[in-house]
Amino acid sequence: MKDLDTLLQGASKAHGHLCPGQVVGVRMAMLGCDLIGLDDPSAMPQIKKIIVYVEMDRCATDAISYVTGVKLGRRSLKFIDNGIMAATFVNLETGKAFRIVSTETARDKAPILKPDIKDSRQQQLEAYKIMDDSDLFTITEVKVDVPASDMPGPTRFKATCTQCGIIIRDKKEVFKNNQVLCRPCAMGSYFKPVKGNNHEKSHKAAV
Amino acid sequence: MRKATRPQFKTVPVQQAEGMTIAHDMTEIIPGKSKGPAFQRGHKVKAGDICRLMRMGKNNLYVLDLDEATQVHEDDAVFELASALAGPGVEFSGNPSEGKLELRASYSGLFRVDIEALTEFNMIQDVMCASIHTNTVVKKGQSLGATRAIPLVIERTHLDHAVSLAGAAYPILSVGVFNPLKIRLIIVGNEVYNGLIQDRFQDIVEEKVQALGTEVLETHILPDDKERITRQIRDYMAKDTDLIITTGGMSVDPDDVTKEAIEAAGFDEVHYSSAVLPGAMFLLGYTHQTAIMGLPACGLFHRTTIFDLILPRVMAGDRPGKRDLASLCHGGLCLNCKTCTFPNCPFGKSA
Repeated sequence: MKDLDTLLQGASKAHGHLCPGQVVGVRMAMLGCDLIGLDDPSAMPQIKKIIVYVEMDRCATDAISYVTGVKLGRRSLKFIDNGIMAATFVNLETGKAFRIVSTETARDKAPILKPDIKDSRQQQLEAYKIMDDSDLFTITEVKVDVPASDMPGPTRFKATCTQCGIIIRDKKEVFKNNQVLCRPCAMGSYFKPVKGNNHEKSHKAAV
Repeated sequence: MRKATRPQFKTVPVQQAEGMTIAHDMTEIIPGKSKGPAFQRGHKVKAGDICRLMRMGKNNLYVLDLDEATQVHEDDAVFELASALAGPGVEFSGNPSEGKLELRASYSGLFRVDIEALTEFNMIQDVMCASIHTNTVVKKGQSLGATRAIPLVIERTHLDHAVSLAGAAYPILSVGVFNPLKIRLIIVGNEVYNGLIQDRFQDIVEEKVQALGTEVLETHILPDDKERITRQIRDYMAKDTDLIITTGGMSVDPDDVTKEAIEAAGFDEVHYSSAVLPGAMFLLGYTHQTAIMGLPACGLFHRTTIFDLILPRVMAGDRPGKRDLASLCHGGLCLNCKTCTFPNCPFGKSA
């Protein structure tokens, strides 16, 4: 595993800025990997051994992804929308897993560690680099039984929505009124189609 | 009678073990540091593993001598079995343990089993699947069943037969979501209407409906007046109601008119009486868009009744009829235990 400064530099470049969340994310990932016995998770063969569940979509998430190499598209990064500054690191080979939660009290300890820095954001950023793991995080050993349908690797499960005909991958279909449906058809969606189907019109116009 | 398939073991020098399947767990001890399984049974030896095995002092290995064309290791086999059995709403671990996989609910809803197909599946040699009862309300993550290949090595023909049968009967195991039905309630009884006693049915019905993820939209308290009850039912039907629930007035007393009032409201099907105690005087009816349930007064006294068996099914999109109400007979007797453990008891487990 590379050192904190090197990883932080890379993470902030990948994310777009350096912030306290980046420091928390990088340190969380370094600790998580250490706890599950991986020292080079973003390269083969370890890349196939790790899954990380992140519980927030904030700066720290990108830092964790950068350090560990986990990605949504590889199915090694799982987003659980809990709004909690936490992540669980799973070693698929050994079954070892640790959930690490960023403590709220770390914020109060930053002025003690870096009293000479007045800007609170900068103060947190520098303090989080040197703060003890036990002050920065709460660590719990956990068990995560990753469902077969959530595992990385080729698509193993496909179903067809009986309402709209779309293919549903990875067992995300829903059984409603004795019919196999995709989630938008069964439970509604985050979007509403715009009247007149604009995309089709513009496509036809272009042809 | 089933014949046990004998696992085929052979001993091979570790240098020649690449691609072969380790027959048992292998422990690695690093003095003062760790002790744990370095390789698990079923692991296919890769080129990179050979050095580590030699460092562990292994010169020879027990490996499974599988004929890959005709034989399948139990962990591979059970993955195929689980994939074939698990319909929508049923998931399973990516890590089989000792040839077994637990099947779990991937969301809350009504668990259903095609019992006939599952029985046929279990008639096939060297495979099994056991489940909890059909029509059980389940929570996300709850255990629904487990499947396994019985021997360490299973014949490909048996496995293919089982997978093909499960595929043809898909889904043998499924979880149906509950529809957020629009539910309206009528509390019937002169004594309640006249304020002689306080109604308790409304809270009971609301609690049971909420537990399945929906709400009672509207409640009216009416006297035992057939015309008024019928009028209220028709009013609810005109309001785009999925399910009307009435409470009380279902027995044979001369004052009890709820059944007649429901019959007069114009339902296409009305089934009165069920083979369940408590709940013999239950009524279930339908139009093409509205269901109605007439709850007898036993629901006030008994924690669990016919209502707890039928409501989840209607909310999951089923349309139980007369035969369904009759077929609840076997297991339809509540034992009135001091501490109710429903649904973890025989009540309502007719299948």
